[in-house]
Amino acid sequence: MSQHDRELERRARDLYLRASRDVDPAVAGRLRAARRTALAQPAESPVRRLMLPAGAFAVLALATLMVWQPGVTPSAPPAVRQAADADPNDLPPDADVADPALYKDLQFYSWLAYNDTPSSSRK
Amino acid sequence: MEHEDAKTDDAGKAVNASIAIDSASLDDLREVPASMDAFLASIERRAWRMAEIHLGNREDALDAVQDAMLRLVRHYGEKPAEEWTPLFWGILRRRIVDLQRRRKVRSIVVGWLGGGKDDDGDDLPSWEPADDSPDPSARLQDSQAFTDIVAAVRNLPRRQREAFTLRIMEGLDVAETAAAMGCSDGSVKTHLSRAMHALRDQLEAWR
Repeated sequence: MSQHDRELERRARDLYLRASRDVDPAVAGRLRAARRTALAQPAESPVRRLMLPAGAFAVLALATLMVWQPGVTPSAPPAVRQAADADPNDLPPDADVADPALYKDLQFYSWLAYNDTPSSSRK
Repeated sequence: MEHEDAKTDDAGKAVNASIAIDSASLDDLREVPASMDAFLASIERRAWRMAEIHLGNREDALDAVQDAMLRLVRHYGEKPAEEWTPLFWGILRRRIVDLQRRRKVRSIVVGWLGGGKDDDGDDLPSWEPADDSPDPSARLQDSQAFTDIVAAVRNLPRRQREAFTLRIMEGLDVAETAAAMGCSDGSVKTHLSRAMHALRDQLEAWR
């Protein structure tokens, strides 16, 4: 490196440092305001820094679980299963098993039906 | 080009090995700051001047410095004070590059939309308001010399300009400059060597 290069470096640095010291007051004031603004904000906590990747991972895991459910074999829906279990030749409910109130109601409905028939038919 | 960062240059080593640092002026810059406030107070004016050299616009330079301060405090406030200097310059460098790219894209869009010409076909003012504030270099005793060096530095390719301003003007060591530039020590030396070569030609009058 020549003496000229060293002189160039020294002079460039001196001019830069002097120019930085001689910043006009308006800019200096705005820089101070910018510094105060920067210092007034809370520093980002480590926990908060981890929240974004953790949230992204949770969403990804949830989406994966929704698409792929291990251990669950494909099967027919419950309604189809119920229909398949039912015998098409089933009789009405057994009297011993069915609710007794159903039969009381049936007697009432038949009495009602009988009394509602046109009087001409009873005559 | 970033891939040039991998290259090293023997000439660069020679340049950096013999850089004469003005110890008196750099001792002040090397002190470990007592607090983030003290650190930012010590660096804010140089940061603005550095951003202004790169961007050529006072308002953009202020934006870049403010953003760098915010990011340093928010993301690296808990780091040891010794690490703040290269971190801050690295943040500021990236912010400057972002602003330069945004400005370029905006200029292209304005061109596509048919802007940039008036009815007579003459160029309209730039998309950004003209910086009509007083020239800061007018306040300097060596205003013409500063104007010359800034003009010469602005003519350098971006990576060479970054290496020169951080290593020579700001006085960071090679490792700190490499950290701020996001490249290897060898790349810093290469970029700096080329920058010195170009500046030597441009600043012939300083001889």
